[in-house]
Amino acid sequence: MGEVILTMKGIDKSFPGVHALDHVDLEIRKGEVHALMGENGAGKSTLMKVLTGIYKKDSGTITYEGKEVEFHNTREAQDAGVVIVHQELNMLGHLTVAQNIFIGREFKKGIRIDDKKMNEEAKKLFDRMHIDIDPTETMSNLTVGKQQMCEIAKAISHKAKVIIFDEPSAALTEAEIEELFKIIRDLRAQDLGIVYISHRMDEIKVITDRVTVMRDGTYVGTLITKDSTKDDIINMMVGRVIYEDPKTKNMTPPGAPVVLKVDHLNAGKMVQDVSFELHKGEVLGFSGLMGAGRTETMRALFGADPIDSGDIYVNGQKVTIKSPQDAVKYGIGYLSEDRKRFGIVVQKTVAENTTMADLDEFANGPFINKKKENEVAQKFVESLATKTPGVDQLVVNLSGGNQQKVVIAKWLTRNCDILIFDEPTRGIDVGAKNEIYKLMNQLAAEGKAIIMVSSEMTEILRMSDRIVVMCEGKKTGELDISEATQENIMNMATREIE
Amino acid sequence: MESIKQNPLVKKVGFNRIVLCIVLLLMYGLFCALTGGAFFGLRRILSALNYAYFLGFLSLAVTFVIATGGIDFSIGPVMFCCALIAGFCFTIYGVPMPAALLISLAVGLVFGIFNGYLVAYWDVPSFITSIASMNIAKGVASVFTKTQSVSWPQSTQEGGWFRRLVTFEEIPVGLIILLVVAVICAVILNQTKMGRYILSLGSNKEAVRLSGVNVKKWEMSAYVLCGLLVGISAIFFVGAYTTVQPGYGDTYNNEAIAGCVMGGTSMAGGLASISGTIIGVFIISLLQEGIMALGLDKNLQLIITGLIVIVAVFADVVARRRKN
Repeated sequence: MGEVILTMKGIDKSFPGVHALDHVDLEIRKGEVHALMGENGAGKSTLMKVLTGIYKKDSGTITYEGKEVEFHNTREAQDAGVVIVHQELNMLGHLTVAQNIFIGREFKKGIRIDDKKMNEEAKKLFDRMHIDIDPTETMSNLTVGKQQMCEIAKAISHKAKVIIFDEPSAALTEAEIEELFKIIRDLRAQDLGIVYISHRMDEIKVITDRVTVMRDGTYVGTLITKDSTKDDIINMMVGRVIYEDPKTKNMTPPGAPVVLKVDHLNAGKMVQDVSFELHKGEVLGFSGLMGAGRTETMRALFGADPIDSGDIYVNGQKVTIKSPQDAVKYGIGYLSEDRKRFGIVVQKTVAENTTMADLDEFANGPFINKKKENEVAQKFVESLATKTPGVDQLVVNLSGGNQQKVVIAKWLTRNCDILIFDEPTRGIDVGAKNEIYKLMNQLAAEGKAIIMVSSEMTEILRMSDRIVVMCEGKKTGELDISEATQENIMNMATREIE
Repeated sequence: MESIKQNPLVKKVGFNRIVLCIVLLLMYGLFCALTGGAFFGLRRILSALNYAYFLGFLSLAVTFVIATGGIDFSIGPVMFCCALIAGFCFTIYGVPMPAALLISLAVGLVFGIFNGYLVAYWDVPSFITSIASMNIAKGVASVFTKTQSVSWPQSTQEGGWFRRLVTFEEIPVGLIILLVVAVICAVILNQTKMGRYILSLGSNKEAVRLSGVNVKKWEMSAYVLCGLLVGISAIFFVGAYTTVQPGYGDTYNNEAIAGCVMGGTSMAGGLASISGTIIGVFIISLLQEGIMALGLDKNLQLIITGLIVIVAVFADVVARRRKN
């Protein structure tokens, strides 16, 4: 490990309703691989976006190579040598490898693009990385792993001094990960500073020199990797205080009837042969890594996407669900992970969103009874403690947590007995999170059946009565809360990969 | 500026509409001044209004489609198609006038159903659908009339009674019908399930679909209502212009859309104002009349309405960017 190349100090960033970064520190040295860890929503990506100029920080300082800097966009950061390799690859599939690497700064011969020179330069880069990729190959013909290598080559070609890897291994096979690590060690040997964001504890132990842990937008601490244990890191990630009343046993009343049974459901590549049962008054957690197929399962079951095969039973009756209309008819409500796109109509008011799924109940013939609509909306604003100036407020003006409450009100108005919460607290701050948790518990106690898809381990362990784990489109396990631990869930969630 | 917008009266009427009314009055004042007061007469206003009737219906029609986030470039030619087919039935086939009027509505309805079905159920972009049906409308009308123009009867001729419905004589029946239909449209848009769903799906179709709403049906309903209103507009068009030629009608698309977006309906969908549309149409009609009164080139009006569309849409884009 060499001298310090990059220091972020007291970085603060707020979005409406969320304090995303609360005075966070980070220090990167030359020739080190520095892990940035934390749960989903801890603020890792936000911190890196502040660094590379995608977001503007509210306060704090960034010192790079001894000088205070502020990058206004990724281009400026790149030019200075701070480059990010994104989790989602930003490649143009129909262009060649070399064209992708040099996009925006093509070599030219007169006014024509000099493809030959670009191919040669790309080849040099790959040689330096000791990998074998044909620069003239069309990008979409490469595997995801190879595409990632190209992304890294692109980063190096910017004469990078600091490279940020945002969950680089998420989509890679075991062999590809090995190759990635070889490249990263190479880069480290060339005295680059490397930030490595990942959830995978074993990778952290293998590849990194130091670990900085974040939690709920705050800096928790930095450890030397080889001097610390996995448990040290997990303890820092999870903390102790925020999660009061975790479930220790299944709270579902014994003998509660099965309200929803899904039998050998298939829908595309992401939902393969998924079966499970949901009981009245139960919270069934769906855990898994990103891209495990949980959301796809819920969308298929809700009729939002077509089903290939499989049976669905509601209250013991076999039902055909071909559209959300059918699902709603059988009393299923779906709260999407992406509220803005799939949950609310932002240009409509709280009242109008509340009655969206059940407008027939508020209509005399074709006419809407606005008085009744406002009364019911007001009732839910009060019972859910939604913070809004009034039911005639446009939902676009509400914070994330309150928008979520409006979506909940929508399904409660419809009186749905089966509620699917997909990432119910994503983008919601801690206080509002607790309110949503309380609400879900209350709904379950009233006899609603709840499916909760969540990528946050602590959320799964806190809320679920039973847990279904998925990996790569398949169900890989089912646990009662009394036997569930982070470790055995994580084992199931990665079963297919290993 | 903000304090004006917060005034309860301004809030209720809508800042945009107050501005539009001021624009309307200023334009009128300007034309009166420029023509040395010649413009200041009932005859001119009536003449402007005669033009406004059919454009009003056309603009109301497209307002519903734009509210869903779609667009309809077929309204002008479809209006001509309605007038040609219905007029041809009356003059050549001797169909009685009431039936001819119904034929006009029916033709408009058929095009509305056609456009709506393609857009809502087959997911063909409304831009493409409407350009295609614009050509279909022109072609059908030409084939049906064997490429002859059709003249509707004068008020003294047999069947000419229909003009009393659509023009300004002792009682402004046409104006009353337009305003009554506008009120009905406003009620549909703001008080009914149909209007609620049209505006909601214009704002976020996927969220409405995932609420278990039959979005296809409601999206199509906007086009069907649009078609019906276009059928009505055809009757008012021949009331003002008598003769229709096959192969034309495109210019009215732009005027109708201009009236609509000027009135505060967002091209992005989800926001629409019926009263705004009506005021917008009055402005366009006044403009046309003013240009004629000043003895300026008639084509100037094409340029100005073109510019109005761009300015109004740009203002909408800026307003939304600022909100984000």
